[in-house]
Amino acid sequence: MSVLSKLKEAIVCLKAGRVTLPYPAQPRPAPPQFRGRPIFDATKCIGCGGCASNCPAREILVLDVCQEIRILKYLGRRCAYCGRCADVCPEKAITMSLEFENATNSIGDISQTLELFMSTCQRCGRCFKESSPLEQLKMKGYRFDDLKNDRWIFKSQSYLGDQPVVDDIKLDLE
Amino acid sequence: MEKMLIRTIMAVVANVCMVLLVAPLCQGMLRKVTAIIQSRQGPPILQPYYDLLKLLGKEDLESGDSPVMQRFAAYLSLATVLTVACLVPMGFPAPMNGQGDVILLIYLLTLSGICTLLAGLSAGSTYSLVGISRQMMIMIALEPLFAVAIIIGAIHTRSFRLDTVLNGSVYANEGFPWSGLIMLAVMLLSFQAFVERVPFDIGEAETEIMEGPLMEYSGPKLALFKYASMVKLIIYSALFVAMFAPWGSGLMFPLGWLLFWAKVFVLVLLVTLVAATHARYRIDQAIRFFASLMLVALSALVLAGYGF
Amino acid sequence: MKNMLRNLCKKMFGRSLWVYHANSGGCNGCDIEVLNVLTPYYDAERFGIKLVGSPRHADVMLCQGPAMRSTAKALKRAYEAMPAPKLVFAIGSCACGGGMWHDSYPVIGPVEKILPVNYYIPGCPPRPEAIIYGVAVALGLVDKKTAPVQFKQMEYPIPQYHPNDLHTKDEMVVYEKIDRI
Repeated sequence: MSVLSKLKEAIVCLKAGRVTLPYPAQPRPAPPQFRGRPIFDATKCIGCGGCASNCPAREILVLDVCQEIRILKYLGRRCAYCGRCADVCPEKAITMSLEFENATNSIGDISQTLELFMSTCQRCGRCFKESSPLEQLKMKGYRFDDLKNDRWIFKSQSYLGDQPVVDDIKLDLE
Repeated sequence: MEKMLIRTIMAVVANVCMVLLVAPLCQGMLRKVTAIIQSRQGPPILQPYYDLLKLLGKEDLESGDSPVMQRFAAYLSLATVLTVACLVPMGFPAPMNGQGDVILLIYLLTLSGICTLLAGLSAGSTYSLVGISRQMMIMIALEPLFAVAIIIGAIHTRSFRLDTVLNGSVYANEGFPWSGLIMLAVMLLSFQAFVERVPFDIGEAETEIMEGPLMEYSGPKLALFKYASMVKLIIYSALFVAMFAPWGSGLMFPLGWLLFWAKVFVLVLLVTLVAATHARYRIDQAIRFFASLMLVALSALVLAGYGF
Repeated sequence: MKNMLRNLCKKMFGRSLWVYHANSGGCNGCDIEVLNVLTPYYDAERFGIKLVGSPRHADVMLCQGPAMRSTAKALKRAYEAMPAPKLVFAIGSCACGGGMWHDSYPVIGPVEKILPVNYYIPGCPPRPEAIIYGVAVALGLVDKKTAPVQFKQMEYPIPQYHPNDLHTKDEMVVYEKIDRI
């Protein structure tokens, strides 16, 4: 009878005992080579910006504040933990840690900001504002993202000229 | 006379409170045993109490086609099952025994099934309408089984009074109780459908497949419906125990009462075991099953008519 | 008496959360991880969490996938159908910040452009343990482990030297530090 076979099935399941992991009570470490949150080591970083160029989600922003200071900001929001930044970094300053417990109630908690000192040219050491936008770009180092609004800038001309950088989609939600 | 009235009222209140307090515990036990069968640590046993309290604390949204009917259906569902709880003996004679007969019992049970239909109709969405059409089909196939069991009891004891019929009356004929045993088998096989648990919970609690008639309910009204389904488990078990397994109900107060609740817990455990190991039936498979059970029940009725 | 009942109901909110899963255009990776959390191995029902099929029954909406142009209205309607008090969890990188597809043509952005999000659980996809950790943070059982990090390098870390300061000594080029920089 099928009812009897189902009851036998219940008894077989009871033999397995309880398989639930007591997770939040006991820690459960990730396996090695697990790609968790990337940790940026500022003592090793030379500010090349390779990680920023290589990030598929464009989550690492670079801003050259002036000639000597470059700010690298990792916003953790869109990071897909792919590990490309760690692969590309020439100084091995980025490590994909084993941390997966990243839940938070404000998304700014995952960001890491590095302020790096880049030395000036030893021969000319230029520090005055250049005339044409191209010369400005050459001086500023070709990378400036909008740190205040946490945005990756597609058109650098608009940074110089205060134009909107991304076409926002207008949506009617009612 | 007034003393009788006060005693009746106190007995009614005590019975209703006891049923209300024990119903979520039975549901909690059901969930915990299901979890143990599925090899996991389930929710704590008092979980349905937390669920009901949380639902009572939520906002009361008005939604669906006709909110007045929604509210009415929610109140009616809990009211009918609590009225049945006053009529059923639970280890000691029922408080409102003399005031109703068997026809009232069948009517109240059918009315509690109709509340689900009202709920689905007042929501008005397509999923609810499909849910209530399936529930209607099941009710048409299912309520006659219970009615046949009660009528067999009434035929054997030649009265419609509740305290005689609900006292193991199906076995109460002179010779070997053929019709009683046939009805016992039929009721055991269809018990899952009365309490709306897994192989047959097609109409109402079908939240995994579609949202069912309860789709537009939220907050306190949903708490009333969930409470009503928990209490239904208890009262159907109590009716089953009273009609088919009444031995030992005549004992003294603590012992008879504890024996009754032990029988009810055994029945709930049986429901759990069947619910945890079965999949849900399709509506046409279920109707075919009930139709065959109906044939068997009618043959038992004919046998009872001839005195077997 | 009414206040006592109300406080009791508020306290019970954390003990039985009913969850509605809303996928608005994701790749279903986080979907599968959420379903993993409901299996016996990482049992979520021991916290009282139950998956329900209708947003009207639910307390928490698990959003997954970025907000797409086609499903934005549906997501907003599902959020409005939930009775207060309600929470929204954004699971996965796509829901937290738009994911890798943040500048693609159908994607509006993260879910927070349409709904107010209470808790973020980043990952691609987040491990089931990470999802349970996020739920535990929301229930107040554990503390969160992230905080913004800022690092400022010291000034002039790279030594600057002038070719005039180098001496040759026994086939070695020696840099002797002189005071002027």
